[in-house]
Amino acid sequence: MSTYEELRQQADEAWREWASPARTLIKIGLATCSKAKGAEDTFEAIRDEINARGLDADVAITGCLGLCYAEPLVEVHRPDGRRFLYGDVTPEKAKQLVDAIAEDGVSAELALAVIQGPDVPGVPRLEDIPFFAIQERRLMADCGTIHPRNIDHYMARGGYEGLARALTMTSEEVIKEVLDSGLWGRGGAAFPTGRKWDFLRTARGEPKYILCNADEGDPGSFVNRNLMESNPHLVVEGMIIAGYATGGARGFAYIRDEYPICVERMEFAVQQARERGLLGENIFGSGFSFNMEVVRGAGAYVCGEETGLIASIEGLRGMPKIRPPFPAQAGVFNKPSNVNNVESYANAPLVLRNGAAWWSSVGSERHKGTKMFSLSGAIQRVGILEVPLGISMREVLIEAGGGVPDGQIMKAIQSGGPLSGIIPASDINEPLEPEPFRDRGMFMGSGGLIVLDDTDCIVDLCIYFEQFAEDESCGRCTTCHGGTQRLVEILRRISNGQGRSSDIDHIRLLADTMRYANCVHGQAAPTAVLSMIRFFEDELKAHMQEKRCPAKVCRALICYEVGEQGPNLPKAEAICPTNAVVREATAYRIDQEKCIKCGACKEVVPESIQVLDAYQDVVAILTPL
Amino acid sequence: MSIADQDQVLDNPLSGISTLLDNVLPELSQLLPSLHKIQHELGYVPREAIPIIASKLHTTPAAIYGAITFYSEIRLEPPPETEIAWCSGPACRLKGSENIKRALEAVLDVRMGQKTPDSRLGLRLVQCDGTCEQAPLVRLNGRTMGNLNVSEAIKLGRDLLAGQQA
Ligand SMILES: Cc1cc2nc3c(=O)[nH]c(=O)nc-3n(C[C@H](O)[C@H](O)[C@H](O)COP(=O)(O)O)c2cc1C
Ligand code: SF4
Ligand code: SF4
Ligand code: FES
Repeated sequence: MSTYEELRQQADEAWREWASPARTLIKIGLATCSKAKGAEDTFEAIRDEINARGLDADVAITGCLGLCYAEPLVEVHRPDGRRFLYGDVTPEKAKQLVDAIAEDGVSAELALAVIQGPDVPGVPRLEDIPFFAIQERRLMADCGTIHPRNIDHYMARGGYEGLARALTMTSEEVIKEVLDSGLWGRGGAAFPTGRKWDFLRTARGEPKYILCNADEGDPGSFVNRNLMESNPHLVVEGMIIAGYATGGARGFAYIRDEYPICVERMEFAVQQARERGLLGENIFGSGFSFNMEVVRGAGAYVCGEETGLIASIEGLRGMPKIRPPFPAQAGVFNKPSNVNNVESYANAPLVLRNGAAWWSSVGSERHKGTKMFSLSGAIQRVGILEVPLGISMREVLIEAGGGVPDGQIMKAIQSGGPLSGIIPASDINEPLEPEPFRDRGMFMGSGGLIVLDDTDCIVDLCIYFEQFAEDESCGRCTTCHGGTQRLVEILRRISNGQGRSSDIDHIRLLADTMRYANCVHGQAAPTAVLSMIRFFEDELKAHMQEKRCPAKVCRALICYEVGEQGPNLPKAEAICPTNAVVREATAYRIDQEKCIKCGACKEVVPESIQVLDAYQDVVAILTPL
Repeated sequence: MSIADQDQVLDNPLSGISTLLDNVLPELSQLLPSLHKIQHELGYVPREAIPIIASKLHTTPAAIYGAITFYSEIRLEPPPETEIAWCSGPACRLKGSENIKRALEAVLDVRMGQKTPDSRLGLRLVQCDGTCEQAPLVRLNGRTMGNLNVSEAIKLGRDLLAGQQA
C-alpha cells in the first residue's frame, strides 16, 4: 500500500513532463462538444502533419476548457515555456498551425490567446478574453489542461489531498467542514450538502450507499459532462470523501446514456483509483474501505429524480418512488443512501483540501462558492463557465456570452431545465443565485441557461417543454401523465390559433392539481406555462386573440407566399420538399394545400418569398382573454 | 465480435444471447448492463432475448419488456442502415429544428422514429447532449452535422435516398 506522499511524489514526476515538456507538446481538447466539431479529425491531421515533416513534437489529448464556441481547440506548449491556445482548428487549418510550430512562430491569425509566456501583439491573454475574464475557475481549474485519463496529473494538481486530509479527521469533523463551507446541492434543489450527509451518517443499516447523480437530463444543461470528461477524478474523490463522512461503503455513479465519453473516462478513473489503492480496502491505511462502479443509464429523464435513479440502479423501470421512506432511510436495495449531483461531489475535494474558509471566500452575501453554467440558444458564445454565485446574469450572458446574435433583441432567459420557467430579458441584472428564480416561481436549476431572442416564440418553447414532460412522465400518477397531456393539448390549440378564453383558468387549475403528483416532475411540469402567463402575456394574447405569432414560428399562424417574382424562384421550386412552389404561366405561387411551412424556399430565395400572418384578415374574430 | 460470430448469434439467437450474458451476475441490478451488452452486440434487443434475460436475472418477461419500453435508448427493432438522429433539444428547437424535422419527414416519407420499408434509412429523435453550439443539428450514423439549415437537410435527405452519402 502506498501512502499519499508516495503517490504524490510519483505524480509530481509524471507531471513535470507534461507541465515543462522537453519538446513541443500539442494538446487537442477532446470531449463531446469538440468531437462534434471534428476534433478527432483535427487530432489526426496534426499528428500526420507532424510525422510527415518529422517535427520534434508530441501530440496528446486533453479535456474541455468550456469554450464550445471556439472548438476544436489546440494548445501548443513550447519547451521554452510559452503556451498558446488556438481556436477553430479545423482539420484544414492543421497544416497552417503546424507551419507556425515549425517556424517557432505564432500563427496570429489562428491564435485565440496566450496562456503562458510573454505577450504577443494582437493576441490577448487567456485570462483577459471576455469568456474567461469573469470566471472563478476552481472546479474547472484543470479542465482542458490536464490529461483526463491521467491520475498523476490530477494528483500533481492537488488531487486526493482532500481525501488524505479527510482521513485524518473524524467523520463528524468532515461533515462540519462541509457544513461550514455552505455548500448546497448543485442538482437543482439547493439542499445543504453537509446536512444531507449527516442524515446518512446517522442512519441505521449496512451497507450505506453513495450515489452520484450524473444523469444531467435537463436539455441545455451540460456542466456535469464537462467535469466527467475533463477531470473525472474530482468526482471520484468527492464520492470517496462522502463515503468516509457518512460511513458509506459502496458507490454508484449513474451516468446518462447520451454521455458515452463520460462513461468511458469515469470507468477508467475508477479503475485507476482502484489500482492506486484510493478505492478498495483500507484506503491509505486508515481502516476505511470504499468501492464504487459506474452505471450507464438508457435514456429516461425521470432517472435523474433521485428515487427514479435508485429504481433504475436496482434493475427496475426508473420510476420515482413514493416517499417516505427517504433515500437516507431506505435507498438503493433498501439500504441507506445519499444522492448528490456531480458538481456537489466535485466541490467536496476542494472544501477538504483548502478548508471551508477558503471555499466560502467567493460568492454572494447569501451563497458561497462557485457555480458552473452552460450557455446556449440565442447567444454569441455557447459554452461552459464557472462563476461566483451571485454574479449578475448580465455579466454571464452579455460580457462573457457576448449577448444575442447581431441585429437581434434579447427576449427571455430560461434556466433550470424543462420543469422550470422562463423570465423576461428585463431581469438580466438579477444575480445568479436561487432567490430571484424562486421569487418568480421557478428554479435556478443545475446550470443550463438558454437565451431567447425576438425570433423565438415563447408559446412554441412551452409546447416543447410540456411535450418533453409528457413523454418523460413515468406514468405513475394520473395528475402528471394526464396533466402534462392536457397542457400539451391546450398549448397546441393556442399555437394553432384556437385558444379559448377559458384556457388560462384551465391551465391554472391543472397546475394546482399537478402539485399533488408524487414527484417534482409532475409537480413542476406546468412551471414554464405559468411563467408564460405571468411574464409574456402580450405574446400569449397575440396568439389567443389576434391569432398571430409575433416571432412567426407557430406554423398554423403563418404562411409562405411569393412576394416579388424573381429570377431565383426556380431554386425555390427545386428545393421544396412537397412540390408546393408551382409555376403557372410565367408566375410562381405557393400551393398552400401542399406547403408544410418548412421555410426552405425562403432560405434559398429570401428576396422573393415572404412569411405572412396567416390569420391577418380574421383579426376581427377577437375572443376576450 | 466478428461478423461471423454475429451471424451465429442471429442464426441461433437463444444460445447466442445466453452466451452474451455468461459473465453477467444473475441479479436484477444487472438489467441495464445486460440490455446494453445485447444491444451493443446486435444493435437492438430481439424479442427472443426477453425470456432469456428474465430467467437469468430471476424476474418475469413482463418486467424486462416493461423496462425495455421505458428506456428510450433500448430498441426492440434493428436500426436502419443509415440513421439520421435528430436533436429534439431546446437550442436546436429555437434555431429551427422543427422545420428540419418536417422537411426530412417529407423527403424521406417516414415519420420520426420510423425507417423506410427497405430499412435503409431512418429518423430517430434524440435528446440534447450539450453540443448546442452546433444547433440545429442531426447526427448521421453518429457523425454530427451541425448548424444545419433546412435546405441542407433536404439535400442530405435526397442524397441519402439516392444512395449518394453513407
Ligand atoms: C424529473 C427530475 C429530474 C432530475 N434530474 C436530475 C439530474 O439529471 N441531475 C441531478 O443532479 N439532479 C436531478 N434532479 C434532482 C434530484 O432529484 C436531486 O434533487 C439531486 O440529485 C440531489 O443532488 P444535490 O443535492 O447534490 O443537488 C431531478 C429531479 C427531477 C424531479
Ligand atoms: S409525478 Fe410524474 S414522473 Fe413523478 S412519479 Fe408521478 S407520474 Fe412519475
Ligand atoms: S415553406 Fe417549405 S414546403 Fe412550403 S413552399 Fe417553402 S419549401 Fe415548400
Ligand atoms: S439542443 Fe440540440 S444539442 Fe443541445
